[in-house]
Amino acid sequence: MSSVEAVSFTNPAGLRLFGTLHQPAEPDASLPAVVLLSPGVKMRVGPGRLYVPLTDMLIELGYTVLRFDFFGLGDSEGELEERQLVDVYNHIEVGRYVGDTLAALDFLRTRGHRRFIVGGLCGGAITALLAAERDSSIEALLSLGMTVTLASNAATPAKYLSARELESAKRHYLRKIANPRAWRSFLTFKSNYGVIWRVIKRELFERKQPLPEPKPPDASAPPEQRGNANPLFPKAFFTFLERGGRALLLFSEKDRLHGEYQEKFALPYAERLKAHMTQIHQHIVANANHVLSLHEWQREMVEVGKRWLLSLYPVAAR
Amino acid sequence: MTACLEPLRTDGGTLTETPLFFQRDDVRLFCMLHAPEDAQPRNAFVLSHPFAEEKLWSHRVFVSLARALAQRGHVVLRFDYTGAGDSAGSTAEASMETYLADLSAALRVLAEKHPSVQSVGLIGLRLGATVCALFAERAAVNGEHAFLRGAPLILWEPVIDGEAYFQEILRSNLSTQLAVYGKVVENREKLQEKIRAGGVVNVDGYEVGRPLFESVAVPTLLPLSRKAHDGPALVVQVAPTAQTKERSDLQELARSYPAGSFARAVEQPFWREIKPFYGRAEDLQQVTLNWLEQRDVQR
Repeated sequence: MSSVEAVSFTNPAGLRLFGTLHQPAEPDASLPAVVLLSPGVKMRVGPGRLYVPLTDMLIELGYTVLRFDFFGLGDSEGELEERQLVDVYNHIEVGRYVGDTLAALDFLRTRGHRRFIVGGLCGGAITALLAAERDSSIEALLSLGMTVTLASNAATPAKYLSARELESAKRHYLRKIANPRAWRSFLTFKSNYGVIWRVIKRELFERKQPLPEPKPPDASAPPEQRGNANPLFPKAFFTFLERGGRALLLFSEKDRLHGEYQEKFALPYAERLKAHMTQIHQHIVANANHVLSLHEWQREMVEVGKRWLLSLYPVAAR
Repeated sequence: MTACLEPLRTDGGTLTETPLFFQRDDVRLFCMLHAPEDAQPRNAFVLSHPFAEEKLWSHRVFVSLARALAQRGHVVLRFDYTGAGDSAGSTAEASMETYLADLSAALRVLAEKHPSVQSVGLIGLRLGATVCALFAERAAVNGEHAFLRGAPLILWEPVIDGEAYFQEILRSNLSTQLAVYGKVVENREKLQEKIRAGGVVNVDGYEVGRPLFESVAVPTLLPLSRKAHDGPALVVQVAPTAQTKERSDLQELARSYPAGSFARAVEQPFWREIKPFYGRAEDLQQVTLNWLEQRDVQR
């Protein structure tokens, strides 16, 4: 019978972090331990308790799983200074919780674990990658909705819409073109004019221009010219891949994150990525939203994760 | 299972925080006990979280309140209902009866772990507040749970009209449908039919089934009639501005308690996704602690 234990450990600042350690009935010593990282400001079960079915599957395969709360969140110690969610998200995306993640690995080392798979949704996924850049005992990333951009630019969202988002926005406005309520919103300054202007501009001018060759952003350019791509992502991902790391990149179809990954990372870095394609398994859950709220989407995520793990660690198929 | 942990040292003194699992029948529930160190407190509080994703958005507000109460010398137990947080089970199986049973099991654990406690106050938010109110009333009528007698009951934005609340829950499902399919595939009526027929409806990742629907979706979920609970009761309206009109139903609910008070706290609806990050609800916490101090609830 599997078991669960409430645990705690301290982070580099001496703050106590709380979590739950889930052990399978018959732990498989040949497998790495799995650490699931919380997304955004949600506590350790994830939005809609997304990590509960994921943990169940991992235990069934023989993995030990740790879920814990970052400092200032969930049950853990510490206080966050930010007053706006977007600022919290931005700090996560540039590695605020890497130290907490490495502390979690140290805690698992005290329980005899030496190799790790780290994963999570959105902010949990980017934290897992930034931790993997620093700790080579992380062999694999179980990423759900990897984010390659910075939330700080959410103040001007229209500016950074991907081509896919613009296409979706166009369809949305075309559907509403004969709707009097939509026109009332437009005439009473309630519409998102930034997005509408980007859609019109793209249709009238940008489509007629040949598309520029996608290329990595100039790191020396000032921030306002670099767009909203997270400058830490490419270096961290290539460092991880070049030392042989494996990654599951699972995205939701109705989430902006896949489009952003393609446009802001996969296309500009296509040449360099070629050498590593066998290390990356990408999957898109049809129709799903960012948090995979429907259980059918969760089941697909769990099944894809299971198959990916079995391909990496076939011993678990026993 | 209990984890033995080092005490947490704060400006207000030394506290211990002990996470543990306990059983309610065959369901494993999770709780966190906050307690002042080296003390034999007489007063304790049990915190009752709201339903589904509201629990996650408001989690840190509860943690902050629990720590503030523990710094004042009280024992505080926070726990996860069936199908929430680290507790086992699913919301599809949950009902008002299972929630009342969960709360009862939490009180039992508190009494076991802190035998010095003589009085237990209940504090809840939204549906969690309604569970507290119904539990306290049942205990008073049936003469059960002696440590609730004369103890404080604090209801933050309690759900009074369960039918309207359920419509709010369904709205969340409709919003997901609109975002995903661009249209409503199953309208409210179809969703309710599905639940009545024994199916489940997904609300932000939580499945809602017939047991919850039948026990919660009633207009008089929390009756406004005269109450038997004899302890001091505080009903708090969480209002976005100081100018927001006072809710007459909440005022009436406060008047239904022999020692009831009504108060307003100016806060954004922190149990939903909003732009500000809510590490604590300053005004709500202050209103609550001041009210307790005025009633001389001491250790």
